[in-house]
Amino acid sequence: MTVASKFPKFLSNPKFRAMALLTVAGGIVGYGSGSLIGKLEKAGAMRVEGLGWSDLLSGLIAMMLIAMGTLVLVASLSRKTALRVLDPGNGRDATPAQASYYRQQGLVALLAGVMLAAPVLANSVFDPLPFELGAAVMAGIVALFLVQTVGNLILWQRSDELVRQVMSETGAVSFWLLQGALFLWAAGEKLNLLPALSLWDAVAVLMASYLLISTLVSARRGLGG
Amino acid sequence: MKNRLKVLRAERDWSQADLADRLEVSRQTINALETGKYDPSLPLAFKIARLFGQSIETIFQDEA
Repeated sequence: MTVASKFPKFLSNPKFRAMALLTVAGGIVGYGSGSLIGKLEKAGAMRVEGLGWSDLLSGLIAMMLIAMGTLVLVASLSRKTALRVLDPGNGRDATPAQASYYRQQGLVALLAGVMLAAPVLANSVFDPLPFELGAAVMAGIVALFLVQTVGNLILWQRSDELVRQVMSETGAVSFWLLQGALFLWAAGEKLNLLPALSLWDAVAVLMASYLLISTLVSARRGLGG
Repeated sequence: MKNRLKVLRAERDWSQADLADRLEVSRQTINALETGKYDPSLPLAFKIARLFGQSIETIFQDEA
């Protein structure tokens, strides 16, 4: 019996190894950001207590997007690691075009995370937030939004038909579900039956729902298989 | 919709990545087609048919 055969077969499966790597990366990012926020709060540099549920939810989503975007970006810098981490079933090095496509995907996710985190962070670090600083953060968000929109459009152009199908279905399902939920909540609010939501609350719910729907549609269509 | 993509690919000893390169799509698209999770667009179906030198209906069969 060889040493390798003593280990369970799934350990040599590239998909399992990629999942294990992502799990470890998730743990490190989660622990790292949690302890950093804790230290900043103890030092009085950041206010976490008193943040609303939508601030916490969007902060969590932003952290996930930043971590995922950074991982994809770093993995795509090497053609050797790009496909081994991002498409473990492929079993060969990424072409320059594939590596650049992944790099762009990572960048778009990273920018989305930064844009989502910026308003929450600005309000947590500066209480009250000065008008000039708020305006400067807003100008930065608008600039990033423009860059990210162009990045998303180019990604659409560069994607093959399966990815486009997943994007289209995610958009359609999200719109159908969220416009219904928005209407029902607004009606309940108008009738004094439900508490008022802020636009930031709605954005946090929209982002969380969109990511969840996107994951479900991707799995259903076999993207990531 | 059922298809014979996996069989046709295996007959030529091509990997999913090889077929993906020839069709200019991602390997994941080939996997999704072979597992029946995704049906190709008409242009991609024609491309597949041309690549294997067969008609669309011999590669793809309607399950109804």
